[in-house]
Amino acid sequence: MILNLILIFIAASITHNIVLTYFLGICPFIGVSKKIDQALGMGAATTFVMTLAAMVTWLIYHFVLIRFGLPFLQYAAFIIVIASLVQIVEMFMRKFSPPLYRALGIYLPLITTNCAILGLTLFMVMRDYNFLESVVFGVGSGAGFTLALLIMAGIREDLECCDVPKIFQGAAITLIIAGFLALSFMGFGGLISK
Amino acid sequence: MNSNVAISILTMAGLGFFFALVLAFVSRKLKVKGNPLVEKIEEILPGVNCGACGFTSCRQYAEALAKGQAPIDGCKAGGNAVLCALAGILGKEVKEGLKKLAIVHCGADASSRKKKAIYNGIKTCKAAGNMMGGEIVCRYGCLGYGDCRDACPFDAITIINGLPKIDKNKCTACEKCVIVCPRNIISVEEITTKNFMYVSCSSLEKGAQTRKACSVGCIACGLCQKFSGSIFFVKDNLAHVQYNKLADIKNKDEVITKCPTKCITLVN
Repeated sequence: MILNLILIFIAASITHNIVLTYFLGICPFIGVSKKIDQALGMGAATTFVMTLAAMVTWLIYHFVLIRFGLPFLQYAAFIIVIASLVQIVEMFMRKFSPPLYRALGIYLPLITTNCAILGLTLFMVMRDYNFLESVVFGVGSGAGFTLALLIMAGIREDLECCDVPKIFQGAAITLIIAGFLALSFMGFGGLISK
Repeated sequence: MNSNVAISILTMAGLGFFFALVLAFVSRKLKVKGNPLVEKIEEILPGVNCGACGFTSCRQYAEALAKGQAPIDGCKAGGNAVLCALAGILGKEVKEGLKKLAIVHCGADASSRKKKAIYNGIKTCKAAGNMMGGEIVCRYGCLGYGDCRDACPFDAITIINGLPKIDKNKCTACEKCVIVCPRNIISVEEITTKNFMYVSCSSLEKGAQTRKACSVGCIACGLCQKFSGSIFFVKDNLAHVQYNKLADIKNKDEVITKCPTKCITLVN
């Protein structure tokens, strides 16, 4: 049981990293990875939303949608859940951490349309996780997202001091680095044989 | 089938209503009181986010103003109207009537400047200037492709016969043209007096050389220095003006008309 949960966590955060393996949530991955502290804030916000979204969507899926025989409504219902959660996080952050709120700017409301979160909830349904597994999966995916963002931010901070050829500057080198990161994360693939 | 549709609609409506209630509750709990002063200031500011005040957006400038951490004359794009309105809100006084203006220190239009070659490259000053200093003989003068016009966010610059003309009603002294000009011949000056004059030439060549390149360049003859009582002065083969002393100049017409190449210009 516990071993299973640990495996789900490791799979979600490392071997099946939501950013670097499924290539979901690329928008904030490129957009908010310029500074480590911003990346950490974004990662924390997304992890929070992911965990809550996994809980709430699991409850709604099993106790509302399945009960009324409406599993086809999952996309619409999940989007409502995610959008509301992001609103709450935004209000929360504006109240308690205005600097982070300003630093994240447009990317905070954009978590609403972050495909990583919708992807997470849909995977959760697809793989028939129970409630506890869903929560762990949410935390794990959030941790994976934060990890990817932090690695990227660290590399990009060092990159500031590098003499990048002109045609690679900006988005180009960032996407190339993302590709290398994805390749290197494939090396973790043998960790779990599932 | 019909009941299925009805249940779907009811379920979604129920979910929506539930989350709306939660959001309404949370937003009441976590309400942030905005500073009404910031809102007011932001309404006055032009809202073009040009960055000339040193802040990245009008909103940030407004926040700094409300805290008293920024000077109220920071907004260059808004000009005097905004300055006075800000002074009204913040209860500060301003000096009336100061207008800043971009000034082009070259007076050679396409017919006055001599060419050394025909240039067929990209039609921007930057490209032309990089190509062996452009097609004109003068190494200092205006290239005339209008980089400054393209950079101006307020359409204040028109190119007339290869020379930028600045509309002083539209110019907000945001200094975008100053930055973009590859020859560095545009500067922003405070028009402090009706007698405001400037030297419309930037050439540091010796007189004879300047004359070869252009018919209206400053040849550093020193006549202006003589007539103006050293308000004008010649340095590095070019006449300069002490703008802060122009208010006291007595014989401005004489200075302008005696200049052999007519390169002293009056802003009026």
